[in-house]
Amino acid sequence: MKFLFWGLLFFVALLRILTFKTPVTDGQKVRISTKVLQEPIRQQNYQRLVLENLIVYLDPFPEVYYGDEVVVEGVVSQNKLVSAKLLSVKENQGILPNFRKRLINFYQDSLPEPHASLIAGITLGSKGSLGKDFWDKLKNTGVVHVVVASGTNITLVAGFLVGITTFLLKRRLAIVFVLVGIWLYAVLSGFDAPIVRAAIMGSLVFTAQEVGRLSQSFRVLVITGLLMLIIKPAWIRDLGFILSFVATGSLIVFQERINKKIQILPAVIREGMSTSLAAQIGVAPILFVTFGSFNILSPIINALVLWSVPLIMVISGVAGLVGLLFPFLGRMILYLTYPLTSWFVFVVDFFG
Amino acid sequence: MAYPDKKLHIIACDVGQGDAILATYGNLQILTDGGPDNKVLECLSKYMPFWDREVELVILTHPQADHFTGLIEVFRRYKVDTFLVSKLNSSARSYEVLEKAVGSNQSRVVNPKEGMVIRLGLIQIEILHPSESILEQKSLDLNDYSTVYNLKFGDFEALFTGDIGPKIIEEILAKNSIELVDYIKIPHHGSRNGTALELLKASMPKLAVISVGKDNSYGHPHQEVLKMLKDLGIQIKRTDEMGDVEIETDGRGFKLLNP
Repeated sequence: MKFLFWGLLFFVALLRILTFKTPVTDGQKVRISTKVLQEPIRQQNYQRLVLENLIVYLDPFPEVYYGDEVVVEGVVSQNKLVSAKLLSVKENQGILPNFRKRLINFYQDSLPEPHASLIAGITLGSKGSLGKDFWDKLKNTGVVHVVVASGTNITLVAGFLVGITTFLLKRRLAIVFVLVGIWLYAVLSGFDAPIVRAAIMGSLVFTAQEVGRLSQSFRVLVITGLLMLIIKPAWIRDLGFILSFVATGSLIVFQERINKKIQILPAVIREGMSTSLAAQIGVAPILFVTFGSFNILSPIINALVLWSVPLIMVISGVAGLVGLLFPFLGRMILYLTYPLTSWFVFVVDFFG
Repeated sequence: MAYPDKKLHIIACDVGQGDAILATYGNLQILTDGGPDNKVLECLSKYMPFWDREVELVILTHPQADHFTGLIEVFRRYKVDTFLVSKLNSSARSYEVLEKAVGSNQSRVVNPKEGMVIRLGLIQIEILHPSESILEQKSLDLNDYSTVYNLKFGDFEALFTGDIGPKIIEEILAKNSIELVDYIKIPHHGSRNGTALELLKASMPKLAVISVGKDNSYGHPHQEVLKMLKDLGIQIKRTDEMGDVEIETDGRGFKLLNP
């Protein structure tokens, strides 16, 4: 029975990947009318979008945002849409995209750069407004995972929600509340592959606890991966998807052992160090093959900054919610992050 | 992080190929142009206290992308009290976006005209250009409409020249409105058809600042301009070579802060 379940799951995923093809051929002129499902990345001369698995470069203005409805015309060339033209863009007035935009605006109106973008990245996975220099430094130091939406965000949101709901609600109700919260956050933070992975895994683990089954992390990870590939086979080529799974796998296998070996370090940086070291075992070779380099100091840099991330996320999250109603009060709360983001920026500047 | 002091600071921000110049005095800021992208935000962040979200005056010398694009995010993120800008049209889509951002900022919009004087605390700004006769001519190059002004603080004087060319320089010189200054922003990123020897001789600055991008495709700054400055013994500082160029003055002479 067990064998049949796994065999079937693997078989269906494989079938989906093998039969999946980009629906158009090279050189074909196409018109794409779709919703923007990933946040565009902005540079001086272009904005970069991913539409229907194709990479599209558009003029920087008018600006396109996550959630907008766009019509784009261009010529397909491998995985790109070249000489692309934006024919129309309709702003998404939905509650969640609007909420996200207002939160980001609140951060940007309240704090200077790169603090505002760092906070938007940590709390909402918004990387669209990060300056190129700072982005490059984040990449060089190996801490860029902090500002892209990653599983850590989901873990923190879930932890935060569990923390408040278990006080207020009955266990069964609390879990429903947490699940809804996780998926709302997944949509709010851009629905990238790593977020979806963490949201599925989180949901599986919580539900499994509820129906009284012991969850085994590695098995949950594999089921999640296969499910995601069955739903969207194109993810197999998504670097974020691959990194997210390899990093999580490495964490499950190695983190505990490493943590035991580095007992001498102070607790505040031990967690970050062991997390980073464990993840690096799987991730570093992939980064090296893809980008041709990785930073050997990265675990140390991560250990220096990672402890500040949950604090920044929780304070900015609360500040954002308060700030949308009472801007002045929200801003005062947000100022509490300034020493933390200053430390983060200092470390990244120093090593980058 | 910058703490406000009792000195005037002038920072030519390193924004690549374009102009963005910030003047600060205590809690007061004047930003002239915004460069070609959002890099100007880094400059504002670096030289303003983090709690200060208000820029008292923004000047757009003329509506070309390498001068105005960065201002879009400035107007979106900071409260701007006054916007000094000529009534000119730009065909760029991004200029509409800027106009919209200015609208929602509810800034006071003022059109500069020769002879106008703006006082902000102890700082005085005297507009030398555009003149009314220039504004009536519709067909000139956008550069020629650039807002040119003298900034005075105590005995310190600085000349800001936008992207004006030789014809306009001649016209301004003919009116005898160029005074001796300490500091000049070299016109048009040091282009050959920007700086005229006569302009330098009339203003005799101690420091010439060139805002220009590394390896730009225009060949700015031009060798002739650099030679002219050298021959006159004027110190040259370029944003492509040293990043932000910052000076401070207490109203008597000035000091380069990043020599």
